[in-house]
Amino acid sequence: MEVVNARAALLSNYEVLSLLREQESDHLARAKTAVRVKKEEEAAGHPPRPLGEATFGEPSENLRTVEIEAIQYLSADYLPTTRQTADGISQLVKDLAPYELTKAEKLQVVNLAPALPVELYVIVEELEDRLGDRMEHILNHVQSGLSDAPAPAPSSSDVYSAVQAPNKTSTLAESYQHEEYHEEIVFDDVGEGAGIEGDLDMEED
Amino acid sequence: MFVLSVLKDTVAIHPSNFGVPADQALISELNKKYANRVLHDIGLCICVFDLSEAGEGKVRYGDGFLWYKVVFRMVVFRPFASEVIIAKVKSSDQEGIRLSVGFFDDIYIPVAYLPQPTAFDPNERAHFWLPDSDLEKTHEMLDTPVAERMYIDQGEVVRVRVEADDFFDDEPGPPRMADGVQVHREAKRAPYNVVCSIAEQGLGPVSWWNSAGQGEEDGDMEEG
Repeated sequence: MEVVNARAALLSNYEVLSLLREQESDHLARAKTAVRVKKEEEAAGHPPRPLGEATFGEPSENLRTVEIEAIQYLSADYLPTTRQTADGISQLVKDLAPYELTKAEKLQVVNLAPALPVELYVIVEELEDRLGDRMEHILNHVQSGLSDAPAPAPSSSDVYSAVQAPNKTSTLAESYQHEEYHEEIVFDDVGEGAGIEGDLDMEED
Repeated sequence: MFVLSVLKDTVAIHPSNFGVPADQALISELNKKYANRVLHDIGLCICVFDLSEAGEGKVRYGDGFLWYKVVFRMVVFRPFASEVIIAKVKSSDQEGIRLSVGFFDDIYIPVAYLPQPTAFDPNERAHFWLPDSDLEKTHEMLDTPVAERMYIDQGEVVRVRVEADDFFDDEPGPPRMADGVQVHREAKRAPYNVVCSIAEQGLGPVSWWNSAGQGEEDGDMEEG
């Protein structure tokens, strides 16, 4: 094994959760197919397959464990992740652009969705000096990105559909290869090509 | 909390899996090897994100496997220093508090990173914080009325700031008889530890801050 880049990019909790959920449903679908195939073969009178042959697609114990536990943590009610949507997050990241937060701070605002000033205070260093009265605006932006609150104007629905489409993990992945492009159009309302984590990536430091 | 790491490895695919699309077989093989494993100075691997490059599968002399050189991206749990995360209290003892995020539970808050003044109550098996108190001695603090204490109970959801992380790669090594006495090595250290702090305004059990009034919070901020 060789490490090419230990920190190629930062991932938001939402991205990890959707990746894990997608994988889990993949596994379930595969397990179902495997059971069906087995039944059909038995019905057709084939001899049972030797052990180890039919096991492909069955995820390893370790993967199952970490997958289930991580999904449990990320969908806990004390985290906002389950109430988030891909377009909500990309909208939020755009809304945060004028406040000159660092990437790490934006990532934490996305991950933790602060509802109270004190929550924002622990995330953003020197909050008072840098933002002053504008922190209320940030809290409003955060709330409008959560699905419980009234939905924001769907200005980036094209991004949403691209990200939401099944088996489109690669869409998320590719979007930060367009990072330079993305940063130029950060105020562009059309937001085409913008991924939800485009702004949250970190150059290797 | 999560990062993408680009890794490179050589993967062998068993002939029984030749019928499966190569990319799926590779991802499944990589997940088998890396999922839920701590890589030194990288973090805890969750699962493969995607494959970036894969070479042509080659057969080597001696086995029927197809060997692929693969560059892939891994989802890794590695909170960065100063990141704020939310975790649950797993247990408490004299030395500090142990936290868990479900899939990973080697997260610790040492006593030094608890809000001051604080003390450990052996009866409750929990640390408590005495807000607005200037007591310093533990026995004095244990004499205070229980109503004044802010306990950090087991199972409580806490907001913590990551201060540092340590990786240990302990190998058994040969026994050192030359030392005369058999050196009793520390009990198995976890390969990856995260040290966190709650000694700051806004950190600690989430319920402390959610119930606090708006006016009080503003006051806290000026202090901080």
